[in-house]
Order: sequence, then structure tokens, then C-alpha cells
Amino acid sequence: MDRRPVNTLRSSLAAPFGEPLLESLKAYWAALGVSDPNLALALSEQTLRRLPDFPAEGEFAARTIIAAGELLDDWLAAALDLPRPSPALTAARAALLSGAVPDWPAALFAPPGAAGIALDRLRAAIAEPTPPPSPGVMPAQRIEPVWKRS
Amino acid sequence: MTQPPSPIMGHTLRRMVFFLLVTLTTLVALGLLVSVFQPDGFSPMELLLLLLYTILFSWICISFWTAFMGFWVILLGRDRWAISRQSPDTPPYPAAPPPRTAILMPIYNEDSERVFAGLRAIHQSLAATGQLHGFDFFILSDTRDPDVWVEEELRWQDMVRALDGKGRIFYRNRPENTSRKSGNLEDFCTRWGGRYRYMIVLDADSIMQGETLVEMVRLMELHPRVALIQTPPVPVNRESLFARILQFASSLYGRMFTAGLNYWQLGESNYWGHNAIIRIQPFLDHCGLPKLPGREPFGGEILSHDFVEAALLRRAGWEVWLAYDLEGSYEEIPPTLIDYAKRDRRWCQGNLQHLRLAFSQGFNALSRLHFLMGVMSYAASPLWLLFLIATGVEAYLQTQQELVYFFGENWQPVWPVSFAVEMTTVLLVTLTMLFLPKLLALLLLLKDSRLRRAYGGMLGATLSVILETIFSVLTAPVLMLFQTKFVLAILMRKAVGWPPQQRGDHQTGFAEAVLAHGGHTVIGLIAGTLSYLHVPAFFWWFTPVLLGLGLAIPVSMLSSSMALGRGSRQLGLFLTPEETEPPTVLRDLEDGLSKNESVLPVLRETPPSRFVQALVDPYVNALHRSLLPEREPPGKRRRHYLEGLIHQLEEEGPGSLSPAQKRELIADPDTLLRLHALFWSRPPAKMML
Repeated sequence: MDRRPVNTLRSSLAAPFGEPLLESLKAYWAALGVSDPNLALALSEQTLRRLPDFPAEGEFAARTIIAAGELLDDWLAAALDLPRPSPALTAARAALLSGAVPDWPAALFAPPGAAGIALDRLRAAIAEPTPPPSPGVMPAQRIEPVWKRS
Repeated sequence: MTQPPSPIMGHTLRRMVFFLLVTLTTLVALGLLVSVFQPDGFSPMELLLLLLYTILFSWICISFWTAFMGFWVILLGRDRWAISRQSPDTPPYPAAPPPRTAILMPIYNEDSERVFAGLRAIHQSLAATGQLHGFDFFILSDTRDPDVWVEEELRWQDMVRALDGKGRIFYRNRPENTSRKSGNLEDFCTRWGGRYRYMIVLDADSIMQGETLVEMVRLMELHPRVALIQTPPVPVNRESLFARILQFASSLYGRMFTAGLNYWQLGESNYWGHNAIIRIQPFLDHCGLPKLPGREPFGGEILSHDFVEAALLRRAGWEVWLAYDLEGSYEEIPPTLIDYAKRDRRWCQGNLQHLRLAFSQGFNALSRLHFLMGVMSYAASPLWLLFLIATGVEAYLQTQQELVYFFGENWQPVWPVSFAVEMTTVLLVTLTMLFLPKLLALLLLLKDSRLRRAYGGMLGATLSVILETIFSVLTAPVLMLFQTKFVLAILMRKAVGWPPQQRGDHQTGFAEAVLAHGGHTVIGLIAGTLSYLHVPAFFWWFTPVLLGLGLAIPVSMLSSSMALGRGSRQLGLFLTPEETEPPTVLRDLEDGLSKNESVLPVLRETPPSRFVQALVDPYVNALHRSLLPEREPPGKRRRHYLEGLIHQLEEEGPGSLSPAQKRELIADPDTLLRLHALFWSRPPAKMML
């Protein structure tokens, strides 16, 4: 993971918005399941670092929250080999946040190769709302009154 | 070796016997009435009475002879032509893979907890048969309410997790609920129908035993000419007095009626919309419903689609059966008289539309009869009302006639002829037709000691039948007025304006009862006063109807009582086999509802609003977005509209938005994500959620 010092970011990006921005980001990471405050801080830093590349529309603070989700999605896409953006990736995010992988930050930020079980659990938890299509044709029938000539 | 009798001849003979009995009985009763009216010629009022009596009596006759045939079928213990007893046809797919069956649960703003508890119980029961691998489950949601929508998604995920049902338990919510339930099923058929040979259609309150589901598939496999098998759903699980009385009546009399229906309908039976198995390919080929030309109530979308689908299958040469002897099929009924009437309101319009379909090209005679019977289930009420009014008027006119004893130069008086015997006979025949089936059903209990015990013993069952009869006499006039109102409103294209039906147990309050039945009471008082003052003799004949109307408010309130329902159960009244010895699937449903054993932590608590939870909770938000169908990004105009809703939500809170507006917000993935981000980027005080 990218763990550049947070101070640099504060000066370059977060400064105009102050502590509340970082606090809301940390709170959001906590809501996503990151219980370790240091990890939450590091992820917040990394989120803020992404922002120069972010589309310059909408409210800045809201953009940071979206960026946090995008960061998570990046990681999920790489780990599960999923295209992004895609519904499968959103489903993977939902699976991750559902509690299917207990303490996911510890499991998923483990060294390469050690996250196998967690990834298997995650794959199994991804929702499959509908089966692949197998369409049929259902033509509308003719229902005419008996007195009408066919 | 003797050849078995040809089924076609046998089928024809049965129907001939049945319709001959109906016709003869109607003619005899009509003859008696004619003999009363004829001596001094027919007045227009008498002709009207004769016409109404013929229609209504033949309607009663069909019901009576159906029950009578059912009585004999059950008494003799078998029906050689029941679909469950027929020898197999030659299978058309000798090398075909084992069939796959989709179990479909179409839902619309239902109580999600009950829906999924029911599905879990069915799943559990199916798993116990060892045949789960042949079935997939589909929750086909047409739900519009945003809170219910989100709740459904969470419960579906929870069910998948708990039952390891990934790839076997599916969920989808339609963006537009075009053509309601029939459109919902059509959407399934056209998207995934190719994967399955059969579909078993359930209702939101349906419960079916796994063994029954497996047996339905087995029967379809044995009879490839059959496109649909309907099972008779038995009402269960309600606790109010009203519902318990209805459950008892449906259970005790219902099995006789369904056996009787199968006796004469055979392979030209009907579809009741749920708890039935359907062969998908013929359904695809022949059951696409058109929009009928013209305006409502007879034009537009076909509302009661089930009868029409059965008729279309028959028109294409497929057989439709009622498996009257297949047990393990259940449903829940409205808990109160008012909810029962509300359900009637929904069904009434669809059934009246069948009048047009009865005279459409290509349908066979029995399908036309099914349509007409559908119409009569509601049209009978205004006809009965008209009959009562006409009888009262005729009685009044009779009182106004002065008797003349001497004609011309005759010195001997000509005494008026009394028709009391004929009139009493007409009345007795009518009452026999109405009440004898209840007695027959009771007699059938003598044959089966296990069943007798299940209904609370002979004494308990007899007492229950007597009380049920009194209750049905009291409520019949109320339902007659309700249904008359619905029929007239539909014909005049007027909305009756009632809130949606509540499925769960609840009691009727005084205000609600007065609002619903105040008019009935007033009508009862006025009719009673008028008849007492002007036609006293008629008044006494009229008292059962007047009593029902006069007592409508207390009867409606008392019968909605769950305490009285439970009390009657403790007294051994209105017991049904499903109450006395609940089958496993019903016990599992009860367990599922009483325990909250959700796998998903988010379901272990009940937030004030699932809609807000979808905006705020990262998991619920992501799950909901992942289930939204892919579609084109909204256009400029729509983006502005959504923008306006976002501002309204931010400034005035979710309470300011209508359910439809909330749905619009959470139906757009970008808007949903944006709202989620807005919530987390601001101090809570600034977001009015």
C-alpha cells in the first residue's frame, strides 16, 4: 500500500478544508470496517492523494468520500481480476462490506499470497441476483369477439 | 382382456350427468315458481323475478351439484380420472435431461419478513426431500415502495447466505411494473424461461410442502399433454375469529368442492393464479396477453390473467388440471371482513372483464363457463339485491290488491287459491341447495376418524358448522352490498378509494367499522322500517338480511378480534387439521417468524427507514447499487429533476419526499452514490436524515 506521510497532503490538499475533512474520511473508513486508526489514517491520506486526478465537479468533501470508495474498488478489481467500473465490482464491494470476510482490512492487506482464503470467501459472497439470460419469445395472442370476422 | 372405458366418453358422460342435474333442478324450481305466478298471468315484476330467480338458482345449482359430486368422490375414496391416478403418457423427451423447475414468488410491496420466512420454509421442506437440486427460486419483485424494496434486497441476501443459495435463489426488481403480475411473470418467461421446463407460481402468502412440489413436477413429467396443474390452496395461519371461521369453512367444505370441480372439469380445469405448476414452453407460445381494445372496465389490460391463461392453453389444445387430492398447498386469507372486501374490490374488476372474454373467438365451452362463473362470483350480489327489492315490491303490490269473491252472476264465492305450499317448497329447495353441502361435508367426517379428530371431533365440528352457518348468514348481506357497490363503481368507472389491503392480523377499530359499515346499517334500518310498516308479512322473511345489515358494525369488529379467535380455538371450535397437527412447513414458517436469526448484521436491527439506510450504510448502499439494472445514463432533463430531489432531501429531509420520489433517487446509481458521499462528507447535523 502507498503510505506516504500524511503531513505533505495536509499542506497540499487538505489544508484549505482543515481537520473536518480528514475526520470525515477516517470516519468513513471506519464505517467501511477499518477499525485500526492508523490504517484508517493511512487510507485517508491515500484517498486525498487521488483527488488531483478526480473530476473537478461536485462538492470537494463528497468527492473525497467517492474517492475512498474508488480506492477500495481499485484494490478489489486488482485482487479479483474484475473490470472497472462494472456491476461485478460494485457487487464485490457489497460482499466485502457485508461481513463475509471478518476483519477484511487485516486479511486483504496481508502480504501477497496470504490473502487466498479471504479472497475465496469474498468470491463466494458476491451476490448473483439473476442467472444468465435464456430468453423466450412470448407473442401476444389474438383475442377477438365472436362477432368480429377474423 | 377387457378394454378400460375410453376416458373421452367417460369425461363426456360425467359432464352430461352434471349439467343435466343442474338443468333439471333449475327447471323444477322454476316450474314451482311459475305455478305460483301463472294463474292470473305474468306481471312485468313477476317476469323480472322469474328471470332473476333462474339465473341465481342455476348459479346455486352448479355449486350444489359440484359439492354433491365431490361428496361421492371422497366417500368412495377415489376418482379414476384424477390426474394423480392416471397412468403415464409416453414421455416426449426420452433422452432429455432431468427437468429444472423455477419456483416463482411475484411480490408487490409485501411484508418482506413474512415473504422470506415463507420461502425459507418452502426451501427447507424441499431440501428435506433431497430434490433441491432440481429447483431454483426467483423472487420477482414489482415493489414500488423504496423502504420495502431495500428490505427485500437485504432479506434476499440473508437467505442466500443462510441457505448457501448462491446461483439457486435469485432476486430482481422490475424498473417498471408494466401489466402488474402477468407482466411480472412474462418478464421472467422472456428473460429466463429457456432455462426451465416448469415454473411453480406462488403468491406472497403461499406456502407449499417440498413433497408437493416434487409430486407436481413428477405428474407433469408423466403427462406431457398437460400444461398446468393447479393445487387447491388451504387457508392457514390466521388467528382472528373471522379468518378462523373462513379457514374452517374452506378446509372442511373446500375439499369436497375441489373434488367435485375435478369431477366435471377434468382436463379443462382452471388456473387460480398461484400454487400451480406450469409447463413453460406452451405458456410462452400461447399465453402472451394482449391489451384489449376499448376502455376499462371491459377493455385495457387483462386484470384477472389466470383464467385467461388457462383458457388460452385450452384453446391451444393443452390440458389444465386441478389436482384436488394433492395436499401440502397453503395460502393466507384476509384477517377481517373489511380486508376481505378490499380483496374483493381488487378481484372484482378483473372478473367483470371476463364477460367480454366469454364471448371471444376460439375458447372452448368450459373456458367460457369459467369466465361466466368468474363474472357471476361478483355479479350475483347485485342480482340478489335486485331480487330482494323486486320481491319486496311484489309483496307490497300484492297487499294493495283487494280480494274479489264474487264474479258476474255466480252466487257462490270464488275463494282465493293459496300457493303457500309451492312458495314454501321453492324456499326449502333453495335453502337445501345452499346448506346441504355443509351437512354433507360434516357427514364425510364420519368416514375418517383421523380427520374427525383433526376438526375437533364430531361434536366440535358440528357446533362449528352451525356457528359458521349463522356467521355466513349474518355476513352475506354485508358482502352483497359491498360487492354491489364495487360492481356499480366499476361499471360507472368510479374509484372506490380504499387504502391497500392489510395482510397481517390486526383488529378493526370502531371508526373503521363505522366508516365501512355505517351505510349498511342505515340501509338495513330503512329497509326494515319500510317493510315492517308496509309489508309486515315480508318483514319476517326478510329478518336474516336485516339482522346482518343491522349488526354489521359489531359483527365486523368482533369477528376481527384475535382474542376471540384464540378463545374459540381453545374451546375446540373452527379447528382445522393444519391447526391441530401443523405440517412441518408451517411449523418452520412460524419458527422463522418468531426467531430473528439473520446472518447479515444489518437485519438484526430495524432502522426507522431502509431508504435512509440505503443512502447512509456503505454495505446497504453498495448492495442496492449492485442490484440496479444497467441502463442508459439519465438525460439532461432527468438529471435536473434528480438534482431538485437531492436538494429537497438535503434541505427538508426524507419526510418531504413521496415514496415515488424516494424510489427515483435510489433507482439511479450515480444519484445514490452521490447522496451517500454527501452524507459522509458533512457533519450529521447538516444532513436532515
